Amino acid sequence: MFSYYVALALASMRRTPVLTSLMVLALGLGIGAFMTTFTVYYLMSGDPIPHKSGVLFAVQLDNWDPNSPPTESAEDVQPQLTWQDGLNLMRADTPATRQAHMYSTGAIVVPEGDDPPFDENIRGTYQTFFEMFDVPFLHGGPWDSRADEERASVAVIGRELNDKLFGGENSVGRSIRLDDNFFKIVGVIDDWQPTPRFYHSDWSRAFQDTEQIFIPMTRAIDEPMAPRGNTNCWAPLDESVPVIEAFLKSECVWTQFWAELETPDQVAAYKDYLDNYVREQKQAGRFPRPLNTFISDVNEWLDVMGVVGNDNRVQLRLSFLFLVVCVLNTVGLLLAKFLGKSGEVALRRAMGASRGAIFRQNLVEVGTIGALGGIVGIGLAWLGLRGVESLYNGYQHLVSLDPVMLATAVGLSVAAAIAAGLYPVWRVSRLEPAGLLKTQ
Amino acid sequence: MNDFGPIFRTLLRNKLGALLIALQIALTLAVVTNAAFIISQRADDVARPSGLDEPNTAMFITTLFDSNVDQKQLRRDDLDALRGLPGVVAAVPIQSIPISGSGWGEDYYTTPEMTSDESINFGMFMVDEHGLESLDLELLAGRNFRPEEMTERSLDSFEFPRVTIVSEALADSLFPDGDALGKTIYDEPNGEKPIEIIGIYDHMQNAWPHSDNVDRTALIPAYANFGGQMMYLVRTEPGRRDAVMAAGEEYLAQNRSRIVETVRSYEEQKRRTYGGDIAMITLMSTVIAILTAVTGLGIVGLAWFSVTQRRKQIGTRRALGATRFDIVRYFMVENWIITSIGIAIGIAGAVTLNWFLDTEYNTGRVPLWYLPAGMIALWLLGQLAVLLPARRAAGIPPALATRSV
Repeated sequence: MFSYYVALALASMRRTPVLTSLMVLALGLGIGAFMTTFTVYYLMSGDPIPHKSGVLFAVQLDNWDPNSPPTESAEDVQPQLTWQDGLNLMRADTPATRQAHMYSTGAIVVPEGDDPPFDENIRGTYQTFFEMFDVPFLHGGPWDSRADEERASVAVIGRELNDKLFGGENSVGRSIRLDDNFFKIVGVIDDWQPTPRFYHSDWSRAFQDTEQIFIPMTRAIDEPMAPRGNTNCWAPLDESVPVIEAFLKSECVWTQFWAELETPDQVAAYKDYLDNYVREQKQAGRFPRPLNTFISDVNEWLDVMGVVGNDNRVQLRLSFLFLVVCVLNTVGLLLAKFLGKSGEVALRRAMGASRGAIFRQNLVEVGTIGALGGIVGIGLAWLGLRGVESLYNGYQHLVSLDPVMLATAVGLSVAAAIAAGLYPVWRVSRLEPAGLLKTQ
Repeated sequence: MNDFGPIFRTLLRNKLGALLIALQIALTLAVVTNAAFIISQRADDVARPSGLDEPNTAMFITTLFDSNVDQKQLRRDDLDALRGLPGVVAAVPIQSIPISGSGWGEDYYTTPEMTSDESINFGMFMVDEHGLESLDLELLAGRNFRPEEMTERSLDSFEFPRVTIVSEALADSLFPDGDALGKTIYDEPNGEKPIEIIGIYDHMQNAWPHSDNVDRTALIPAYANFGGQMMYLVRTEPGRRDAVMAAGEEYLAQNRSRIVETVRSYEEQKRRTYGGDIAMITLMSTVIAILTAVTGLGIVGLAWFSVTQRRKQIGTRRALGATRFDIVRYFMVENWIITSIGIAIGIAGAVTLNWFLDTEYNTGRVPLWYLPAGMIALWLLGQLAVLLPARRAAGIPPALATRSV
């Protein structure tokens, strides 16, 4: 029966090609626009590390200017830490399972042979980073904890860089030249792209590629390799010592700090630990503001940082209204079309079709229109995403239509068409055949 | 308008169909006014002048990776070469580019007693005496830097400049009475590091286009040597920019101890910085265009259908003496009534939507004149959309009335 209804639906659609294509187009446009903004929104607000997002916590300590406005929530506190606080926490015996201190830097990679040098972003961090964030290794592994203590010249590089420099061979044991220095490669990371790149603090680049080089932070500071990304200061630097030393012991924030806390008890104990740490520092004359420490798990942290921009939310809301207009449009057109079918419906009823049969048959027609609209919508969403990709820098990880999105698009379109068609279909199935047949 | 009554009563017989169009019109008005408002705001932002000679300015960023090279000598050589290129008006070493999104924020204190929450925040640019000309700034008062006032900043030394040239906006923020020239201000609280304001220039934006103090900027006479990065801004004669970019890149790339990271026109940099705004403008324009088209086509489709449904009645009216114009007018008035109902709902919708967007996402309040503009646009849209089906209706011959009775 279903295939018969589909055949009837196609025949009916062929009879009113203009009206039908208007409906399919309207639905397609609505679905296309909505799916475009929804895909961007969905990927932006996605959980970058689902199996661990509840146990990884970003740390904030409020070391800021006493004259700044009072702190009310985590949003009011600097998202980064001073180098000295990070270092103190790394060295301390805290309740955390793991901690990782990190910062963003960079250098010029000088390849062997004649290939031209190029600039790369580098993450200076600790050995714990890789296990904490579940970084997948292709060859080798993280450096050992001794390398952190000894400020060793070791590096973990990404697959992409390994392909570029070593033609994809296992490069563990070889070295890479960064500016003037050689670093021994201990591990090669497989493709790894948490979206958004949550561990970072530069949110304008939250959707760009992960770094291709990781080195011990202790080594990077030793060099010193200057931070890239935001550096915020409020207190003057101490001028009695060399600039770099003054900078390192300053109240400038430019490093990030994460802790892995597996149980609620551990979370509470760690929070207490941080509070006590700040109290101690206050006695040493630092932290002039009231006591404010914050720890936020990955998803809370993405909220604190406002990763999904207001523009994206405005776009999503407006494109939803757009979809509503398209559905209203379709209801109107369907109503018109189905009332125009009164004669045919009356005939089928007179021939013995029940109201239920008429209802089902027309619902199939509506569903067919919806499915066609969905397919058009997928095409338009694909085009829309290409457009969005070309409009925004660094959205390359945000514009893929995965199977879930494809199914959602068609499902949404069919649902929208059926919602749009329910009333017209019901109207047409309630028609009394006798009166209509008489006028023919 | 004596047929307004019958038309309205006819509409009441097909309430749902009319209501659907009215709702569509209402939502269209709500979305279009808000989207148009967003577009105009963003377009205004992008159109603000940076203060630079935008079409004739280019930037070069290079990074040195060999610590044996004397960076100061290299900079002198670079500047000599860049300034000697044909077509170059002026070239300056600078540590950040206005409106590039990456820069240096500082605070000036006008009295030694001032606390950090009272100080005036601004965007700082380290340049030499070629800064004013390279950045195309007009000195309104005072003088330019002198070569002997230049200072060096690096990870080893942090020489402190004694003079600064400020934008008029910064001068007015620091000294609202307009007597900033010659005043001593302080770079840090407690009256440390006095600086003299030796000049005031007209206008230049800081590095962050969306900051609320975008016009407060200052120049200090300093060379920045942080890491190996070196940045130059070059102003050229009209039409010579691209040639200068190519020649400059060729020169800089000769040195194998560094890489040339970026050679970019200022216009391109501005497009990148405003990428999000430009994207929003494009997306909102697309929404307006497609939404208007969908609503218009919906009206065409429904009117077309209603003409088909009413062929007999139209024929009868024609047979009873109605002119073609009467028939066209019937559909136009009908559409006008429906559109007007939609607009009435839509104004409430537009205001509500704007209130929601402004409260949740700080989009700002739509100026009131957007509403009448949107109303007129939708009336026109409705009338235009219904014209084609109405003309088709007018073509129905009176004889049709007699046929199937």
